[in-house]
Amino acid sequence: MTEPHIELEDLRVTLGKREILRGLNLQLRARTVGLLGPNGAGKSTLINTLLGFWKPTSGTARVMGFDVRTQARQIRALIGYMPENDCFIANMPAVSFVRLGAELSGLPAEQALERAHEALFYVGLGEARYRKMGAFSLGMKQMAKLAQAIVHGPKVLILDEPTNGLDPQARTRMIKLIQEMRDLGTMHIVVCSHLLRDIEEVCEEAVILKAGQIVHYSNLEAERASNRRFVEIETEGDDGTFADAIEMLGCVCSVTAGKIRTVLPEGIEIRDIYRLAAARDIQLRRLNYRRDSLEDIFLKAMDMKTPDIKKEVLSGRL
Amino acid sequence: MAVYKRTYKAYSGPLTPPASRFLVLQRYAFRSVFKSRLLLIGYLLCFVPMIFVLATLYVNQNATLLALVNQKAGFFKIDGNFFLNILGFQFVLAGFLTAFIAPTLVAPDLVNGALSLYLSRPFSRTEYILGKGAVIATLAGALTLVPGLLMFTIQSSLVGWNWMLDNFYLATATVLISGIVLSIFTLLGLAMSALVRWRIVAGALILAVFAIGKGFGAMINNVMRTNNGVYLDMQSLIQTVAQDLFHNTRPVDDIPVYGAWIALLAICGVLLLIINRKLRVCEVAG
Repeated sequence: MTEPHIELEDLRVTLGKREILRGLNLQLRARTVGLLGPNGAGKSTLINTLLGFWKPTSGTARVMGFDVRTQARQIRALIGYMPENDCFIANMPAVSFVRLGAELSGLPAEQALERAHEALFYVGLGEARYRKMGAFSLGMKQMAKLAQAIVHGPKVLILDEPTNGLDPQARTRMIKLIQEMRDLGTMHIVVCSHLLRDIEEVCEEAVILKAGQIVHYSNLEAERASNRRFVEIETEGDDGTFADAIEMLGCVCSVTAGKIRTVLPEGIEIRDIYRLAAARDIQLRRLNYRRDSLEDIFLKAMDMKTPDIKKEVLSGRL
Repeated sequence: MAVYKRTYKAYSGPLTPPASRFLVLQRYAFRSVFKSRLLLIGYLLCFVPMIFVLATLYVNQNATLLALVNQKAGFFKIDGNFFLNILGFQFVLAGFLTAFIAPTLVAPDLVNGALSLYLSRPFSRTEYILGKGAVIATLAGALTLVPGLLMFTIQSSLVGWNWMLDNFYLATATVLISGIVLSIFTLLGLAMSALVRWRIVAGALILAVFAIGKGFGAMINNVMRTNNGVYLDMQSLIQTVAQDLFHNTRPVDDIPVYGAWIALLAICGVLLLIINRKLRVCEVAG
């Protein structure tokens, strides 16, 4: 098993008199992790704590093994951060802006300039790199923020709402870039977004926060794999024995409102279901693989009340 | 220019020493300050009076000229008073310079939230203040500290070793007064441009602080029938300290020199607190 890049142990953060993060326990190992939650759930506080801007009230948080309380500088050297809000210097050309970021991360001036050009070309701003950032569109600013986040070659990349304000074409480009970076395998990516579709498209794991607590932590890859084995079938001409016949194949079935829900065990494929239906002269009117989408998981998690969260935590499911 | 492949590569080359990173910010800030030709020309013009003064020092000790007018000891005396007047004028120029450049240094970082990008890197708030402050201190120092020491050096070389030893306090005084005034200008410039992000207003506020302090101090003195209001008047405080350092006996206000020093250091502390507080708010994104 790989070492976790982010570890939280009973992490609590209080701002003013309000406890924002309430005892988070987590170990993130996946290449891409989605951080989800409604407004005020504590996502930004968690990011700011990981960056060392907020000190934990109790508990610990570690990034690549470094403690956020005492080794914030080392952590920041390893992190690339793309904030949600506007972050640019209006009268500075994009290439100078990205170069400045690289130099502040410790790259020598020449390498920083070279990397700035590369990063801007990579995010698709090659032609606009000498333009002042104040004249950039929202989409271009997002791309420039991504360029400054990756220019120094971080080990952990934190993207806060990366597709915010992007048109469909630019969004697709951004998602593609994140997927490319994920597939390169040189960095761990944490994506913080309200858009579940974005998380579903790029992340391997998802963490859902609510009221400063983790209400769900799921491995989306495993979820997708299990979804592929979950089948919901609607039939025509079934005398009620089709479910039994499927069970005879070794599947576990449940029948509700005329729909058969079953999980296919290893060795049983969909074509076996088709064969069985054909043999019994039953029409398959609908066959659905989908079980829980991230949206279903998210909505379920949002419905969960605080005592339920505690129960889930105690039972070790979270 | 190379044709860059549109692929991402991690960086694994050498890194610069962390202690020198604030110089990066300073370098970028210098470039942005001197982008304005008007400012560059204005800055260069600030050196003209000093060139004139240095030429005067030479003329004052020129034996041929002195013989022509039958003068033995020079046209005027080079003492603490002379240094005080010249440096006082240069400090005024440095104050205006600060009002022009300080808002261009900090405000652009705060207006569009760039500060959180600096500080999410291995770069601290202290380094940020140091990097930006060094720009003001260097530029203002070139108008005050450097010419002051240059005057002392030239006068010493013209008059001789004995003059230098007898008047060494002038060099010490130049360093000390420049140190405290430049610290105040730097911190005031950064604090005001962190408080008010609109450049013109921030610039005006930097100059207005001196007048506001003077007025408020006078008001306190009149209402409370005391002399403690003078501690809010930075100009009087600086003058008190400067006159003591340059052995000038002309009275400014009836405040003890140590009181003026403490008040000036306290003002520096308050300004530092303001800067720290304002930057702290802006560094946390989202």
